[in-house]
Amino acid sequence: MSSESSKKRKPKVIRSDGAPAEGKRSRSDPEQEGKYYSEEAEVDLRDPGRDYELYKYTCQELQRLMAEIQDLKSRGGKDAAVEIEDRRILSCVHFMTLKKLNRLAHIRLKKGRDQTHEAKQKVDAYHLQLQNLLYEVMHLQKEITKCLEFKSKHEEIDLVSVEEFYQEAPPDISKAEITMGDPHQQTLARLDWELEQRKRLAEKYRESLSNKEKILKEIEVKKEYLSSLQPRLNSIMQQASLPVQEYLFMPFDQAHKQYETARHLPPPLYVLFVQATAYGQACDKTLSVAIEGSVDEAKALFKPHEESQDDESDSDAEEEQTTKRRRPTLGVQLDDKRKEMLKRHPLSVMLDLKCKDDSVLHLTFYYLMNLNIMTVKARVTTATELITPISAGDLLSPDSVLSCLYPGDHGKKTPNPANQYQFDKVGILTLRDYVLDLGHPYLWVQKLGGLHFPKEQPQPTVIADHSLSSSHMETTMKLLKTRVQSRLALHKQFASLEHGIVPVTSDCHYLFPAKVVSRLVKWVTIAHEDYVELHFTKDIVEAGLAGDTNLYYMALVERGTAKLQAAVVLNPGYSSIPPIFQLCLNWKGEKTNSNDDNIRAMESEVNVCYKELCGPRPGHQLLTNQLQRLCVLLDVYLETEIHDDSVEGPKEFPQEKMCLRLFRGPSRMKPFKYNHPQGFFSHR
Amino acid sequence: MERAVPPTVPLGQMEVFQALQRLHMTIFSQCFSPCGKFLAAGNNYGQIAIFSLSAALSSEAKEESKKPIVTFQAHDGPVYSMVSTDRHLFSAGDGEVKAWLWAEILKKGCKELWCRQPPYRTSLEVPEINALLLVPKENSLILAGGDCQLHTMDLETGAFTRALRGHTDYIHCLALRDRNPEVLSGGEDGTVRLWDLRMAKEVQTIEVYKHEVRACPPHTLFSLLPGPLLCLDLLLPSPLPSQECSRPHNGRWIGCLATDSDWMVCGGGPALTLWHLRSSTPTTIFPMWAPQKHVTFYQDLILSAGQGPCVNQWQLSGELKAQVPGSSPGLLSLSLNQQPAAPECKVGPARSCGGPGRPGVWAAQSPPSCLQVLTAAGNSCRVDVFTNLGYRAFSLSF
Repeated sequence: MSSESSKKRKPKVIRSDGAPAEGKRSRSDPEQEGKYYSEEAEVDLRDPGRDYELYKYTCQELQRLMAEIQDLKSRGGKDAAVEIEDRRILSCVHFMTLKKLNRLAHIRLKKGRDQTHEAKQKVDAYHLQLQNLLYEVMHLQKEITKCLEFKSKHEEIDLVSVEEFYQEAPPDISKAEITMGDPHQQTLARLDWELEQRKRLAEKYRESLSNKEKILKEIEVKKEYLSSLQPRLNSIMQQASLPVQEYLFMPFDQAHKQYETARHLPPPLYVLFVQATAYGQACDKTLSVAIEGSVDEAKALFKPHEESQDDESDSDAEEEQTTKRRRPTLGVQLDDKRKEMLKRHPLSVMLDLKCKDDSVLHLTFYYLMNLNIMTVKARVTTATELITPISAGDLLSPDSVLSCLYPGDHGKKTPNPANQYQFDKVGILTLRDYVLDLGHPYLWVQKLGGLHFPKEQPQPTVIADHSLSSSHMETTMKLLKTRVQSRLALHKQFASLEHGIVPVTSDCHYLFPAKVVSRLVKWVTIAHEDYVELHFTKDIVEAGLAGDTNLYYMALVERGTAKLQAAVVLNPGYSSIPPIFQLCLNWKGEKTNSNDDNIRAMESEVNVCYKELCGPRPGHQLLTNQLQRLCVLLDVYLETEIHDDSVEGPKEFPQEKMCLRLFRGPSRMKPFKYNHPQGFFSHR
Repeated sequence: MERAVPPTVPLGQMEVFQALQRLHMTIFSQCFSPCGKFLAAGNNYGQIAIFSLSAALSSEAKEESKKPIVTFQAHDGPVYSMVSTDRHLFSAGDGEVKAWLWAEILKKGCKELWCRQPPYRTSLEVPEINALLLVPKENSLILAGGDCQLHTMDLETGAFTRALRGHTDYIHCLALRDRNPEVLSGGEDGTVRLWDLRMAKEVQTIEVYKHEVRACPPHTLFSLLPGPLLCLDLLLPSPLPSQECSRPHNGRWIGCLATDSDWMVCGGGPALTLWHLRSSTPTTIFPMWAPQKHVTFYQDLILSAGQGPCVNQWQLSGELKAQVPGSSPGLLSLSLNQQPAAPECKVGPARSCGGPGRPGVWAAQSPPSCLQVLTAAGNSCRVDVFTNLGYRAFSLSF
């Protein structure tokens, strides 16, 4: 500020000087500069008051001089000019003084200013210090109030009342003499007492806990004991009650256990189990049902079932991509997949069907989880050991004993149409190759399991259905029994047939004359292919009666030089479906149904008129009776053959049978029908 | 290849029994309806099936039209013989003859009109009736069979008017001579007997198995041959010297018989032989080893059938003209439908239309709807239909 003021002054001075002072100034400046520093020091030496006096004086002098000059000028004389000049010089001196004074004044001003500034700064510093101190004070005051307001933790603790404290606390804690007066000490003591008390309580708590633990353990032990008591009691009960139950024919426990296991059966087997049990209890005491297999495996199977299926389908897709690249491993993979697909449920249901003669049909039902079909394996055991005739090999074999229980049910094809698609994936051509291992998927088995597969639908929905199962149970069981019995009967008959004896039971004797000369000499089983190859079986093959599920036999009946070959088709449905005979007589040339009407008549006599040969129900004598009739028919045929007069010698076969007429009708039939009580032969 | 396995028909008890029945079926007799549109066939189970020929022969014939339109149980035993008048169908089986109205049959009503039993003497076994013969001139029906007699039944009254006795074994077949009131019968005893109906007695007996055909000069036959055959005589080769009719290994029985004016052809155990009746001499032996069960004249040919699947066509000279195979292993009957496809059924018995006097009928009248067919049946459930003599067109089946 001081510098500003000095600057302001200067122009002022200059203006007041006017233009004529300018020239001089530029000339006198270096002098002034040189003097400046000295002037500053000069200032200190000079007295400002005197300078003021000097100033005043100079100003008066100047005024006087100006006024004289004016005077002089106004007067205007010639000498006035010299005077004016003198005067001007004087005024110039005065001006110089004024200037000097002005400078001094400036310097002084500056100095003053500086001094003021310094002082001001000092004041400022003091002021700041003061402020700090004030703040500190305030802060401390705040802290103090805070401290004053602090709440101690102990205040929250509920202490016992003072009186109580003094009553209960021991003196070394209460220290009544110190604490009575001092509330602080008192509080401390009270807290101590509190602490003491709490410690004690904690101790007590721990004790109680351990106590509790102990008691719990004791309870556990006792519980264990009790629970172990139940099975022991059970076992005692069982041991004690089983003989009683058995004695009374009431197998409750066994049944109970079975029901328990049955819960783990897959639905179709469960349906079968329930229905078979129900049927066994209600209608057929000879039927017994059991569950076989590992329950644990079945349980284990239950959970991860779905995952594994997903995996499979995924890997299928992958596999198809890599089919061409990885041949060798693929085979193994496919094999695994096939195994996986054909996997059966670990549990199976056993049905034991007991027949009258103590032979038992054991049926084991399996469920193929991934194919959703059921299969069955059959086994027949007999009360007495059977001597197996060679030709009876297939009769009781597990593979064929149940074949075609219902017409056309071979059990070689999967009944579930959806399976074919699954097979295509893993390269199974037909289930036929696996049937021996897996059991046969007969249609009736599916029905017993309540599985119904509508035909000719690619993806049917299959649900296990109880009503389907129950509706088939009775007929199927009856069929099974009949099948086993007829097979066993055949089994016995074959044994004697192989020895050339046609066993005719006493209740069938009336069907045949007492004297039968023709004899069965051979009874062998033949293959289906061989049967088809025979020249005289064409009709049967063409009529579709020679399926590959049937059993085929060749019988040879002889009398003298005449040999009668009979090719026999034994339907698995024997004896409700009759065996079919095709004949070929070798006597004076070969005679079959195509060139001899009477051979044809003989065939129809055994094949079509079989109903009178069934004998007593259930008709197990049919096959042997048919063979016996064949022998009789051959007798009749040979004895009634017209004798060729031109040939010398006696007839080979003299007529011994009593016949009303030898021939009848346009096709000249021979009298093949035997009339029982009278004993003669007539035409049908 | 589970899918490729041929679907085997599931065979239950009933199906097997039916299949066996069909397999052992024998069709003994057949007869055309008076209008010629239907064929009746009788089998060994006593059933008569009616086939519609017009449906089976039409251009839009399906498999079903080859099945019978109606089948009914006519007799207990086999139906051995059937003949038809313009209103009735007569069927004969074991000891009884039944009459059926064609109109009723075609309406599928299967009640017999009447049933008659000839007077039999034996009671132990009911004799069968093997042959029926209509005698239109006296409106009667002749029955012959197991009791070795020819019974004549008056169709007006239904009474049995006479019985002709003479055969020593049962009678297989009958034939009517169309000019004289004479009937021929052939039997198991090996004889063909000629009966005069007016006198009701036997006029001639031919024991076929005793004869042999000697080499005879052709000119002796010329005067005897009927007109149409004359032209053929020139071609007749002279038969081999002393050819025997008898074939002892086959027996003596005469199984079939047909006649045309003075000519008769018969066969069975002995060889098929053409006879001249007036002179009682065999003229031609047809070289066929198998016994024949049916023979008939057709124009200038003789058709015969028997053991074996073929219908044989013979020239009168003894030459085998053709053998047309059928579907049955053995044939028992042939039937010719010579009715024009007339809109109404008002034609006389089938026989009167045929005959050697009308050559070329087959070739001349064969419009597409022609029902003039030959049918053959025998040891199977099929009736073979020959629309042309040359080949089997199809089979009707029970």
